[in-house]
Amino acid sequence: MSTPPIGRRGFLRGALGVGALAVAGCAPGGGGQAAPSRLAAPSATASAVKGEITIWNRSGDLFKVFDAAIAKFKQAYPGVTVNHQQVDIDAKLANTLISGTDVPDGSFWDDAKIGGQAEHLYDLTDLVAPYKDQTAPYKISVNTVDGKIYGVPWDLDPGLLWYRADILEDAGVDIAGIATYDDLLAASRTIKERNPASKPIHLDKNPFLSQLWLEMLANQQGTSLTDANGKLRLDSPEYQNIFAWIRQATGDGLVTHAPYLEPADVNTLDSGQQVFVPWAIWWSFAPQNLLKTTKGKWRAAPLPAWTPGGARSGAMGGSSFVIPAKAKNPELAWLLYEYLCFKDEGIQAVYGPNSVYPGGLSTSVPSYTPALDPAKPLFQPIEALGGQDLWKVATEAAATIPAAVPIPWWWAQSVDYLGNNVQRLIEGKMSPDDVIADSAKKIQRNLIDRG
Amino acid sequence: MKPGIGQYTILGVLAAGFLYPIWWAISSSFKPPNDIITDPLTLSGPTLHNYEAMFADVPIGTGFANTALVLVVKGAMTMLFCPLAGYAFAKFSFPGKNVLFGVVLLTLMLPTLVLIIPLLLEMSALGWVNTYQALILPGSIDAFSIFWMRQTIAAIPGELIDAGRVDGSSELGIFFRVVLPVIRPGLAALAVLTTMNVYNDFVWPVVAVNDTEHQTLQVVLSTLAQNITGNRIGSDFTTVWGELLAAGSVAMVPLLVIFVVLQRHFINGILAGSVKG
Amino acid sequence: MRVRTWLTPYVFVSPFFLVFAAFGVYPLIFALQLSFTRWRGAGEAVFVGLGNYSYLLSSPDFWASLGNSAVLWLLIVPVQVVAGLGAAVLLANAKLRLRGFFRVAFIAPFVTPLVAMAQVWIVVFDTDYGLVNYVLNLVGLPDVGWLTSTTWSKPTLALLFLWKTTGFAIIILLAGLQAVPGQVYEAAGLDGASRWRQFWSLTVPLVRRSIAFLVVVQTLAVFQMFAEPYVVTQGGPYGSTETAGLYLYDHISASDLGTGAANSFLLVLLVFGLSLGAVRLLRPKDGTS
Repeated sequence: MSTPPIGRRGFLRGALGVGALAVAGCAPGGGGQAAPSRLAAPSATASAVKGEITIWNRSGDLFKVFDAAIAKFKQAYPGVTVNHQQVDIDAKLANTLISGTDVPDGSFWDDAKIGGQAEHLYDLTDLVAPYKDQTAPYKISVNTVDGKIYGVPWDLDPGLLWYRADILEDAGVDIAGIATYDDLLAASRTIKERNPASKPIHLDKNPFLSQLWLEMLANQQGTSLTDANGKLRLDSPEYQNIFAWIRQATGDGLVTHAPYLEPADVNTLDSGQQVFVPWAIWWSFAPQNLLKTTKGKWRAAPLPAWTPGGARSGAMGGSSFVIPAKAKNPELAWLLYEYLCFKDEGIQAVYGPNSVYPGGLSTSVPSYTPALDPAKPLFQPIEALGGQDLWKVATEAAATIPAAVPIPWWWAQSVDYLGNNVQRLIEGKMSPDDVIADSAKKIQRNLIDRG
Repeated sequence: MKPGIGQYTILGVLAAGFLYPIWWAISSSFKPPNDIITDPLTLSGPTLHNYEAMFADVPIGTGFANTALVLVVKGAMTMLFCPLAGYAFAKFSFPGKNVLFGVVLLTLMLPTLVLIIPLLLEMSALGWVNTYQALILPGSIDAFSIFWMRQTIAAIPGELIDAGRVDGSSELGIFFRVVLPVIRPGLAALAVLTTMNVYNDFVWPVVAVNDTEHQTLQVVLSTLAQNITGNRIGSDFTTVWGELLAAGSVAMVPLLVIFVVLQRHFINGILAGSVKG
Repeated sequence: MRVRTWLTPYVFVSPFFLVFAAFGVYPLIFALQLSFTRWRGAGEAVFVGLGNYSYLLSSPDFWASLGNSAVLWLLIVPVQVVAGLGAAVLLANAKLRLRGFFRVAFIAPFVTPLVAMAQVWIVVFDTDYGLVNYVLNLVGLPDVGWLTSTTWSKPTLALLFLWKTTGFAIIILLAGLQAVPGQVYEAAGLDGASRWRQFWSLTVPLVRRSIAFLVVVQTLAVFQMFAEPYVVTQGGPYGSTETAGLYLYDHISASDLGTGAANSFLLVLLVFGLSLGAVRLLRPKDGTS
């Protein structure tokens, strides 16, 4: 926003005349707002702090998990009352931030959403600073806008290679031998030779998820959709690698193209058609809750690397906590999030065994590295994975996730172009070069140039 | 004119097609959550699990109460003021009429979505976020209903109204004693349409209300649906699917029952009207 | 109020305009002004003149969204008017047995919550495991990608919209049919007029006003439609169900409020033109409207 802006209020005054002035004059969120404030640490001790905060979370399992963890927080900070609400965050939070009224003191939010609304959030740089060096670099980068940190980094979602242990064994494929993506193709061919009906590798049919997945593979190679200056990186060798690999896999008939855990996916997972699912840790939900005949037969391994010796994981998705600039009690919200994200007791409360997840929350891992000790599991070995110690696999993979750059505000919108073109690539309707050229042109024109 | 077998067949097939999705939703709400997607065709269970989980998770009772409150107030305003305005637009000629009716149509044509944020800013300025007046007042006298009433009242023969004038009735008297009785079927339809609109409205309530106390039914549903609609990152969507279908069933069954009970009256109203025409 | 004063009609329409002045004018002007600016919900709005409008008018995505909505319109509105009128005439017939049941059946979908019912659509029309393809297979037909092919996604979405709102059309038309006085039918019946002739020469002209109303309102609804594609297809596959309303929503959900506002006003112009056309076409020959 460079040229001298026309004041929103000035414009309104002229347009509306005197009658509406009262309304226009008080409309918040507009030009009069000062630069986002930097939040400083509260000084009082745990037993002395007092006050009430409103905290938003999305509904579902995580709400219950956090509800239980917040109860523990209240024991540690008896003076703080937490009004914990489940709301449709995607539909509400941005609007509420813009209007500036009745904003929560803190909210859960997708990492990808934070960049677009940084102006409405507290700058948490100073508060996160003591923990910064011990937080997964990927999470720090996606919570940073213009060098300042706007979100308290919560979960890390390492990509893993989910595979059918029984089928690999029958085919004589050693999972430890799958060290690169070329190895994965070779292993898939071996399996397909034994069972021609098999289409071993899952590639997703949902454009949004396929783009999120693409970013996992890019992150694994240390890049992302844009560089640190916001310039598109689609034509880089890293993306060319990925697209060429997808074309190879689909061209050789090695791919099951199905939408994430919809009937077509669940059924081909259970039928033995799918053998490899390169996906985030949250896929662990499927064997635990959805799959029937193949429950207990799936295991997790680190992702293959793009080059021998390269990183064996990348991040796929993730969320953090934000504190709106108009929060009434931002310090208390920070204390809560510090507790949940950085304090041993809080991390235990979130990830450890609870009523929703009796074995512990196993769909992500913390992003605070001191908690990521392979020897000190937060969640238990999982029966639906044949008793595998998923914690160990996930934390070791997580440790290799490279840093990234802030996620651009237009990321979700770019799915209309990139996500759809990835689908065309998988279906053989578009070449890798065309995917790059077409997506880059459209993202540039419709999103970046209009920022 | 007795309908023939062909007509019954067509109606029967259509009715089955129309009712099947509703039956599917209600019956699936009694299935174990994971079977809903993995086993969509067969009936398993039955279980009350989805209902227990849903009642424990979301304040659906509050949602009902608030929707009912909004419905009563908005409904009363609509049933009184919209026919009145429709009457003026249909049967009076006055300077500026076309411009004013144009404004009514403009508000009808403007997508609600674009007004959400400006309206929210206004509510903030008034201190009305999280209030019943924010839920009820904006759009309480809506353009659609005025348009509909104007169309309906325009069909009344002018002589009927003139006869009322000759009797020396006041304009309000004519409205209440002549116009309203004649358009009873139209009013019955208006009542049904208003009920449905209030019942199904979620874009504005979701944004205007943050606290549990003021949530309407659709806000509750949207809270449940968030892990399903849009993009399913995360893991818990099958559980939520079951709860959503349970909540959806709870939300629609009362209306269906009311509708079944009242449809006779609703239809009789229409037939009664035809005698007068 | 005894005497008819010049004030009367103004008083009668005033409640709407009071509410409009209180809650319509400010958002409307705000939105209009937003359409000439670039504003992402924070900081100062940047005046860009007609930039948002020219961007949209030169954007293939914008035209594609209108094209998608136009196809949906063709799939929905004519079908709904014809089927709705047929159903309404049958349902108005006092001699129809099970009349109450049929009425409830057709109008019931109108009372169901969309977010829940959309899930039904997703499952029933699933390519591999949905009921519809299951039935097709039973009679020897191949699977159809109802929600996964660009050919069928629009008809499937149109079907959801028809299923959900035909009850609305029937209510409007039933209420309109009451304006057809029973005596007219009796007279025609005595004349021995055939039922089809009766339908076309008596019923249709008399409910013309209701049909015009329905066409206008459903045209608005189809071009503003966003919830249905949002919950069922998210605009896919390949943008084939990216309706005008969903395209507009995408701007707003990305906090690109200026473009969203400009998009809205372009839609207003479009639906205004379409409605005007529809009203003209359906205007009774005698000139009363």
